[in-house]
Amino acid sequence: MSYEVPKKFPTTVVGSYPKLGNASEIIKKRDRNEISEEEFHEKIRDSINEVVKDYLEAGIDIISDGEQSREDMVVYFAQRLKGYNEGDWVRIFDNVYFRKPIITGKLERIKEMIITDWLYTSKISNGRPVKLIITGPYTMLEWSFDLFYGDRREVIMDFAKIIREEILEGIKNGAKYVQVDEPALSTRPWKEEADLLKEALDYIFKGIDAKRIVHICYGRLERLLPYILDYPVDQFDLEFKNSDFRLLPYLKEYGYNKELGYGVVDVHSLQIESVNEIKDAIDKLMKLDIIGPEKVFIDPDCGLKLLPRDIAKGKMINMVKAAKIAREQY
Amino acid sequence: MVKLWGAVLGGYPRSIDVRHEMRDLERGDSTYLDHEITIAISSSAVIGAQISSGLRYVTDGMLDFHDIFRPFLESWRNVSIAGLLRYFDNNFFYRIPIFTAEPDVEKFVWAKRIRFYKKVAYPSLLKAVIPGPLSLVLMGKNESGLSKEDLANSISSILSMEVEKAEKAGAGMIQIDEPILSDHEISEEDAELAKELISNIAKRVKIPTALSVYFDIPKKEVYEKIIDTKVNYISLDIMDSPSRALDLIESKGFSDKKPILGLIDSRRIYDDNCDKIKEIFTNILKIEKEEVGITTTTWFDVIPYNFAIRKTYLLGYCLEKLGNELNAEIINPIKEVEKQ
Ligand SMILES: [Zn+2]
Repeated sequence: MSYEVPKKFPTTVVGSYPKLGNASEIIKKRDRNEISEEEFHEKIRDSINEVVKDYLEAGIDIISDGEQSREDMVVYFAQRLKGYNEGDWVRIFDNVYFRKPIITGKLERIKEMIITDWLYTSKISNGRPVKLIITGPYTMLEWSFDLFYGDRREVIMDFAKIIREEILEGIKNGAKYVQVDEPALSTRPWKEEADLLKEALDYIFKGIDAKRIVHICYGRLERLLPYILDYPVDQFDLEFKNSDFRLLPYLKEYGYNKELGYGVVDVHSLQIESVNEIKDAIDKLMKLDIIGPEKVFIDPDCGLKLLPRDIAKGKMINMVKAAKIAREQY
Repeated sequence: MVKLWGAVLGGYPRSIDVRHEMRDLERGDSTYLDHEITIAISSSAVIGAQISSGLRYVTDGMLDFHDIFRPFLESWRNVSIAGLLRYFDNNFFYRIPIFTAEPDVEKFVWAKRIRFYKKVAYPSLLKAVIPGPLSLVLMGKNESGLSKEDLANSISSILSMEVEKAEKAGAGMIQIDEPILSDHEISEEDAELAKELISNIAKRVKIPTALSVYFDIPKKEVYEKIIDTKVNYISLDIMDSPSRALDLIESKGFSDKKPILGLIDSRRIYDDNCDKIKEIFTNILKIEKEEVGITTTTWFDVIPYNFAIRKTYLLGYCLEKLGNELNAEIINPIKEVEKQ
């Protein structure tokens, strides 16, 4: 089954979706070693089915598995790599914690981590492309403790090696859209930090025959932007709505000409943006005449995992409607 | 001979008991009395860890603070809290203060805590830590109708009363945290505003006062205002970038302030190396020859509890080692008592 992705304003998602069905319970069972990794991915399929159903009903063009297997974008990988020890609880906000993993040895990939879910999702996507999404080396480093390397560049390059192996396996299986998530980069919008990641991305994406996407969100994107423009990627997927489109004039200023994953709905707000509001957001970008409609991918600011399902889906539905209207206009 | 002393900069992570107790309280499965008892026991434990490390000033761990602003916001009128925002370059989020009208104080945060914990802290002195007015204003939302300056002024009036009450209750030091001053986008006008307001707050007490700036090394123009503020001590995060910190200190000095140096890395979990600390410290001794405090780079709340306790011990250990190797006089409250 093949699916024609619209030439202008294709719609997509950043990755995560609210945990549906028994996903959270299944993750806990896997954590407690009550089920094997194989059983885990088998059992999580019911949740992926539900995610894909929502995406297809909303009409999203390029979908994801909703990251139903991932309790957390760093912990998921830490639990599956050699060189990590389970961490202890560290607070994120209020009385909410995550188990920040600890690097205690040389990092190595044992086996594939995201391919099984990706393959399954591709099977049930009615031909729509599915993004292969992996947490990037910079974020893996920043959101782990390191007790082994003591040298940030070394850690990042070892992560790069692991990530490249995973991506190559995805490509071998037919992945056409590869996204590396780097939310931590925007917290340190400095050139040295951006350069550190660039070296890793050069390695990761070398010769990769697929759409290469990097997602970055929040923080000070406008400060980061000039340092990342020469990254070896086809598309930056960025948050705009939450920061009130503050970034737009900077795209113009820096002569941005890559594809853009354009975040038009706020994943931290329970309010479903109206079709008009989203269409206005698209107009804002188009008026600046930075890139053509074939380079603009309409999506949310970030993963939808913190939203209730009906609101997440409502936002997707309106996003698709707004993109359709825009396609007629531009 | 240079005088040396140690102190932990701010709050501690929550032990498993506190985490569970707070969760139970949120769920309605616990009572406020249970909560207070758990906090009291756990706070006493972290105070004990600091005393036994020979620290001159100790904190009560601020285990019930969700972030550096929250207890104050919850004690003032015309302030609410909203969604989460990233707290500097940490994977940690604070709730945004929203000032809806001129803030007004309903109750004070520190006096009660100081009265309770100062006995536990003996022979060390208990420190009261307050957020600075500039961080509160710039990291919050001003919907009060007041100008930024008026709002900051009004906040600093409340904080002035807060520190007076803390002093009266027996606090040994007042520390004013202005992490926002480490932000390189802070304007000179904002830094000047912080300087004026903090000077006004510090003026209200006779006990030692410290202005503490962390997460990064402030830019030069801002640093000049910092060392010009009327406090006794300036506390800096040295280990985030030791070379930039030394450059700044070598070029600008400390004015007439005494430095408190953040030399124990409280955002990472490796064991701090006393020899590396000594290297940096020796450079600073060329500039400050009378008195230096040694502290942690930031609060402890982004590492697990057991590592924070370990680092408290390392702070005391390195302090002692530095004192011996550099032939300095260490102010260690336990030893003072032993002498008596
Ligand atoms: Zn994101």
